[in-house]
Amino acid sequence: MNFETVIGLEIHAELSTKTKIFCSCPTTFGAEPNAHTCPVCLGLPGTLPVLNEEVINLALKAGLALNCGINFINKFDRKNYFYPDLPKAYQISQFDLPICKNGYVDIEVDGIKKRVTLNRIHIEEDAGKLVHLEDEKISLVDYNRVGVPLVEIVSEPDMRSPMEAVEFLRTLRAILEYAGISDCKMEEGSLRCDANISTRILGDTQLNAKVEIKNMNSFKELQKALEKEEKRQRELYTYGEEYKIKQETRRWDSGKGRTVPMRSKEDAHDYRYFPDPDLLPIIIKQAQLDEIEKTLPELPDAKIKRFLNAFNLSKNEVEILVDDKALADYFEALVSEGCNPKSAANWVIGDLLKLLKEKEISSKHIPVNEHSLFKLMDLIEKGSISITAAKEVFEVMFTKMWEPEEVIKEKGLSQISSEDALGALIEEVIVENPASLNDYKSGKLQALGFMMGQIMKKSKGQANPKLVKEMLETKLKGL
Amino acid sequence: MSVTIEEVNYIAKLAKIKFSEEEVIKITSEFDSIFNHFKSIDSMDLKDVDLNVFDKDSKSVVRADTPVIFEDKKKLFQNAKAMRDTYIEVPKIIE
Amino acid sequence: MLKLEEMSAREIQRALLNNEFTAEDMIKELFIRIKDVDISLNSYITLCEESALLKAKEIDEKIKNKLPLGRLAGIPIAIKDNICTDGIRTTCASKILEDFIPPYDATIVKKLKNADAIIIGKTNMDEFAMGSSTENSSIKTTKNPWDLSRVPGGSSGGSAAAVGGGIAPLALGSDTGGSIRQPAAFCGVVGLKPTYGLVSRFGLIAFASSLDQIGPLGKNVEDCALCLEVIQGEDPMDSTSYNGEINKDYLSSLKGDIKGLKIAIPKEFFNEHLDSEISSSIKASIDIYKRLGAIISEVSIPITDAGLSAYYIISSAEASSNLARFDGIRYGYRTSNIESVDDLIEKTRTEGFGVEVKRRIMLGTYALSSGYYDAYYNRAQKLRKKIREEFSELFEKYDVILGPVSPVLPFKCGENTDDPLKMYMADIYTVNVNLAGLPALSLPCGFSKEGLPIGLQLIGGHFQEAKLFNAAYALEKELSLTTVNHLWKEEVK
Repeated sequence: MNFETVIGLEIHAELSTKTKIFCSCPTTFGAEPNAHTCPVCLGLPGTLPVLNEEVINLALKAGLALNCGINFINKFDRKNYFYPDLPKAYQISQFDLPICKNGYVDIEVDGIKKRVTLNRIHIEEDAGKLVHLEDEKISLVDYNRVGVPLVEIVSEPDMRSPMEAVEFLRTLRAILEYAGISDCKMEEGSLRCDANISTRILGDTQLNAKVEIKNMNSFKELQKALEKEEKRQRELYTYGEEYKIKQETRRWDSGKGRTVPMRSKEDAHDYRYFPDPDLLPIIIKQAQLDEIEKTLPELPDAKIKRFLNAFNLSKNEVEILVDDKALADYFEALVSEGCNPKSAANWVIGDLLKLLKEKEISSKHIPVNEHSLFKLMDLIEKGSISITAAKEVFEVMFTKMWEPEEVIKEKGLSQISSEDALGALIEEVIVENPASLNDYKSGKLQALGFMMGQIMKKSKGQANPKLVKEMLETKLKGL
Repeated sequence: MSVTIEEVNYIAKLAKIKFSEEEVIKITSEFDSIFNHFKSIDSMDLKDVDLNVFDKDSKSVVRADTPVIFEDKKKLFQNAKAMRDTYIEVPKIIE
Repeated sequence: MLKLEEMSAREIQRALLNNEFTAEDMIKELFIRIKDVDISLNSYITLCEESALLKAKEIDEKIKNKLPLGRLAGIPIAIKDNICTDGIRTTCASKILEDFIPPYDATIVKKLKNADAIIIGKTNMDEFAMGSSTENSSIKTTKNPWDLSRVPGGSSGGSAAAVGGGIAPLALGSDTGGSIRQPAAFCGVVGLKPTYGLVSRFGLIAFASSLDQIGPLGKNVEDCALCLEVIQGEDPMDSTSYNGEINKDYLSSLKGDIKGLKIAIPKEFFNEHLDSEISSSIKASIDIYKRLGAIISEVSIPITDAGLSAYYIISSAEASSNLARFDGIRYGYRTSNIESVDDLIEKTRTEGFGVEVKRRIMLGTYALSSGYYDAYYNRAQKLRKKIREEFSELFEKYDVILGPVSPVLPFKCGENTDDPLKMYMADIYTVNVNLAGLPALSLPCGFSKEGLPIGLQLIGGHFQEAKLFNAAYALEKELSLTTVNHLWKEEVK
């Protein structure tokens, strides 16, 4: 029997606004607990919500970037339930008239292109955070996150494998980041993902009971969780126990490496949605939409195509660059300085990215100015410095923010490329190593490597290796 | 349609209010008579009323994306009964 | 003795500006009287003597130094206890907020302070504004100043009784289904529910968001008009506040000339359920209007019957959601025997809310619950839209609608507490006004044989408060009803 996995994703992305959705509290991450609160987001009696205009702008941007239809009139509804992280005991969300409908994202998995369609995008407010103490019967509530604006993006159940789901999320994330809608950091919670997964016999068209999976905090966890759940469901089918797959919510437990059922909240499903009487409908004008369309930057798809056409880079290299907009921008800036695209890509994907990850610095705050890096690369081209030395120089430039000339001077890393100087060194080494010379003459080519090593040692690594090899070979052949 | 005791118990759970058995019986009978009275809206012809018709010329009511800090946090939380540092304290929640 | 109980708000202000007495002396005397009278009346929950005295002194200084004064300068005002006052306990007459001290002022409180009004205290009400007698207060029971064995009406009973009892020249209340107009009628004072959106709701602890409005209660139409001029206006903190053109000057339109005023009288309002004394009193006033040159027409609005059901469904539904935030976690009463968070929330609400509040929350939750939403809430909203349209049509032909406020005279304390449906039915004349968002004014028009106040209601088109005030003013002048009340007479004895 052949099975088919059916996956849909529900993504929440925090919008990059300066203030919360219904009050003017700041939204910056990492503040002291309850520092970003006010009577409105705390839901104190008598307070009322007023919508942040930037929320509409960013939500529309998301809709345009994701090819959605826009509901020119949309409204807010209350989703009523009790939980300590929800001060008003209702979440202001959008139920039957969301801001965007339909839409799609094109993805590519194993060379096969696929279109994942979206059902809707709606605006809602976030809830607070709970901290559960280990050794006491106490939980702590931090309301900083209450009222942070979110867009919820709901896909259709178009994905057929965990890989497709991950690729969809990756592509979506890049689009949202590019368009400046959200900084999409899963580790900070500004991008969250829940999955719905079900199984059916290949060829069937109906949708069977879907299991919702929560608590996946990275792309890796998303993949693992889906793979585990897919396996669990298929096993049940194999043993004829597919009736045991019921519509439920399961939590991904990364420690245990599997999904576990969550405590059922039977009454949690009666949210008693009704239009929020404290808010007026959102009315979008075509002119406003046109303005926002103008602010959309080149999106990842288009950039990938352009990079592939304009630069002689591999698909993999282009994808790595484009995956991070700031990195792609940096790369392009390097190229416009006059850099060879291949070298630029090597440096950016290699040394730069490595250091950024090591020092945990965001690509938005690259400490090396493109012009400085270009200067370094130019010095390599001219032979003034060896590649090995350059890597060392780069690291200093990165950590201390010095210019390349300063570092080279300070560390005495100039490369010796003068033929006279090199010629002299070669002479010395040949004279000092007669046995090697004989080895080479009798066909043992490793002797060349040995002598090169000696030359590099003598020059304290500053000899231009390419040139040395050329000159040494020429010299030895002539002897 | 009449209201049942099961329904009243379900609603009480949703509303997070606890009633004694007697109270539930009383509420059920009160609701029955109240909802009976509400039947007056059953008979009305409301087919042609569309609630999702809005004035397209009006503007959304919004505010600018400018941060304003509520400085006096002590005052803001003066009514909280249990706090730990700047957190609000509640009995442990098992998720 | 200043005879403050007989003075209107504007009279007090004029006397102050004429240096007949100082604000400080006036406030001191007012508080002596309050403490004396309120033992029987129970209209105040919290008194703000210290801050009132401070404000009074500040005003005396301003007057002495000829500095600019706010429009309500020196006028003592009482505020219903569901309106947030920074640093002053605001309880909604509920156990669940018995110790709640708001960290901010409602927008209208800010406006009152800027206008140099002197806030005297917070008045009693039905818990969370749910009720029509103020008997649902968990704190105290307010009495009718005209007969201490009877109710002052509700839910703004404390405010109405304070004005009618001569211990506040001006007061603020809130009206969701009649809660300013009915107690105003019961206590023989003027009360106005403004057009929905005209007065900011920011800081008004919500009962039913699409129906609530704050409004003034006073001894006469003029005082109410002055108050409205100060408290009305667009508020960036309230998305539902009206952002169009509004009339900024009501006082100058009080001319009392109503020749040609087209008054509509709905015949459904004068049926067998209306007390005959109230009916006669109102009819006498209609005759006066005729004499003054108004054109009286009988109209029919049968939809108003169903409006009562729509009101209870919508207001309870919104209330059930608005009151869900009261769980003991961030403020207010918190139960003491807690095993879990669920326990904390459930016990706090069960112990903290009164019977009527629980009843309405249950009703509202039911109406919104899955399976019933379409039958109740959705239908109620559709009906409401129809009601609004019907009233709009009426106001294309007429200037004001005239009718009763309450089908019954002020009843005895404890008389109606056992029959919720009966209480709800008595709101028949007032709720449709809230559903349609219209302004309406309650004006004293006579007394019953037993000396109980009778009020009539004038309803206007959206943002037509000026027309409303003028129509009321004309009748008020003709009637010249005494505002001297029972309590004061008792005191003199």
